[in-house]
Amino acid sequence: MSLALTVVGVNHRTAPLEVRERFAHGAHEVPVALGRVVAAGASGGVLLSTCNRTEFYLSDASDAAADAVWALLGERLGDGRAARPYGYLRRDREAARQLYRVASGLDSMILGESQIQGQVRDAWELSRGVAGPVLHRLFQSALLVGARVRSETAIGRGAASAASAAVSLAGKIFGELRDRRALILGAGDMAELAAACLVDAGVRVTLVANRTQERARAVADRLGAAAQTLDEAWEHFAGADIVIASTAAPHAVVTWARIAPAVARRGGRPLCILDLAVPRDVEPAVGQLENVFLYDLDDLQAVAGQASVERRAEIPRAEQIVDEEVENFWAWHDTLAVVPVLKEFRGRMEAVRAAELQRVFKHLQHLSPEDRERLARFSESLLNKFLHEPTLALKREAEAGDGYLLVEALRKLFHLERGE
Amino acid sequence: MPYHLHLIALALYGVATALALAPFAGWRTAPRGLVLAVPSAGAAFHVAGLTQLPSVGLAFALSLLAFFIVFLQVVSERVLRASAVALFTAPLAAGLVGLALLLGLAPVTEPAAGRNLWLVAHVALSVLGLALLALAFIASALYLLQFRELKSKRFGQVFQVFPPLERLDQMNRSALVAGFPALTLGVLLAIGYAVRFAGGFHVDSAQVVWGLFTWAVLGAAVWLRVGRRWTGRRAAVLSIAGFTAVLLVYLALKLTAPGSERFL
Repeated sequence: MSLALTVVGVNHRTAPLEVRERFAHGAHEVPVALGRVVAAGASGGVLLSTCNRTEFYLSDASDAAADAVWALLGERLGDGRAARPYGYLRRDREAARQLYRVASGLDSMILGESQIQGQVRDAWELSRGVAGPVLHRLFQSALLVGARVRSETAIGRGAASAASAAVSLAGKIFGELRDRRALILGAGDMAELAAACLVDAGVRVTLVANRTQERARAVADRLGAAAQTLDEAWEHFAGADIVIASTAAPHAVVTWARIAPAVARRGGRPLCILDLAVPRDVEPAVGQLENVFLYDLDDLQAVAGQASVERRAEIPRAEQIVDEEVENFWAWHDTLAVVPVLKEFRGRMEAVRAAELQRVFKHLQHLSPEDRERLARFSESLLNKFLHEPTLALKREAEAGDGYLLVEALRKLFHLERGE
Repeated sequence: MPYHLHLIALALYGVATALALAPFAGWRTAPRGLVLAVPSAGAAFHVAGLTQLPSVGLAFALSLLAFFIVFLQVVSERVLRASAVALFTAPLAAGLVGLALLLGLAPVTEPAAGRNLWLVAHVALSVLGLALLALAFIASALYLLQFRELKSKRFGQVFQVFPPLERLDQMNRSALVAGFPALTLGVLLAIGYAVRFAGGFHVDSAQVVWGLFTWAVLGAAVWLRVGRRWTGRRAAVLSIAGFTAVLLVYLALKLTAPGSERFL
């Protein structure tokens, strides 16, 4: 049995990280995987693979195509493990709804995050060659739905993770973060992750300082920054805009006494210090310095938590928009079903017209070529006028989801083919 | 007709105030298009009303000041996405238009007296300078409120809705830097007008004192910001102090100076 739309996949709700990691497809793997699934019985396919989901969107997919997806994912799990228990399969409206919810950030781990919008676009671009017209339309509309949900609701407002809260706080001080200078204290994963978020926002990491310079150099090389020891870093507080502190020190390393002289040389420019360490790296007195804004992990979580509450309140409105758009898409999809029938119907009528015209010409041999041309145009015009209203009515009914009965009536009345 | 146009503008400025206050009342933030369209529509009606008035008198000056304030509000929103400015500018403009309506707006009756190009330019540039000083004051007030919110780690509506600190600082600086030449030109045009058309200075000393005081305050603020590179909280306090002094001197002169009935 084949249905118009199918989504087969896993996401962060149905599969743990270690499973999702194995299912994740790099860009170079997408054509091969899609080719295999489409060949199993589908007219088109798009593979959306991120760290939180791997989803195959298929058009006119047979059960064999869905089985091919499970087989392909099972192979990536290895040890003969089945992939099906980790995933889901949705059909038709529910498949469209799934993609619209994904594009809107409603299905994201961090509710309303906007990165998924770009990932949906990338997946579509990557699969264009095999997507087909239905999925092409579905993905195009999904991007518009995502944009509509974000513009008409506050689902994307605020920063919903600690890392994005750090960027949000820095943004509330500096506005534009592009080309701001950041200083990283510590060379652990946390410091590097936060630095990566700032770099994504356009911040330049100029210096990584650590207790040992070797470790600092390793991180600095990845971020394109210089490396120094902690003791050499205090002077650089005069030139930095943002400081991320995340060392493994058991006590505060950034003290009022160490940085006050450098801060005094800043000329009133604000300095944002983000202390991500537990225990804290920055003594609270530093926050009392003029134009120094000091935030620790609790503050970042407070910002993120507040944004999450506000975003959750927007879910009903966002779901309502998704529902509306699913119906719009499905109305368009239903019109597709009448297109081949209409085409055949018009073709049949056109054949009758042409045959009857030739018959008339045989009886009216005396007509000049101009008169024949006139008569032919008259017959075309008459046919178009006769077919205009029924065509419109059929399209209208199809858009309203009630086209099936009319299509069947047309087929029976005019003995049209059943195949599309 | 100018009365009714001002009434429409007043109503639209009232709506703009409500839109600005909405997030603080727990309502959803208004779409940016609406935030721009409502005061812009108000300003359009307003300017249509202004063109039918003689460019003299307190009512006209207040109305013109309100128009410039709304104009600067729309520019701030478009250029710096500083919609929170409307929290101050929209009610201020509504209040000024309301006051102008109370004082009485009458259409042009003597075109030659009220429409001399020198006089119109003098009034327009002087009032624009004053509006820019008001904008600097508003940006400073927003700056200090956002500064306090960020320092005290309160992440409420002020944190969410108000623009970033550096953007407010930039707005303050731009308003002062643009306001000073506008006011300087306004003063020079007044002198030119007096010499060329009025046969010398025949204005109240209070008006001269207030005009020069405002010019000096604006000049000092620009010098400290540009020449001495004052920024941030210090610059914000400076702007607030300057604008407050200008207002207080105006009120003092209005109440005490002789001939104050003609004084703006």
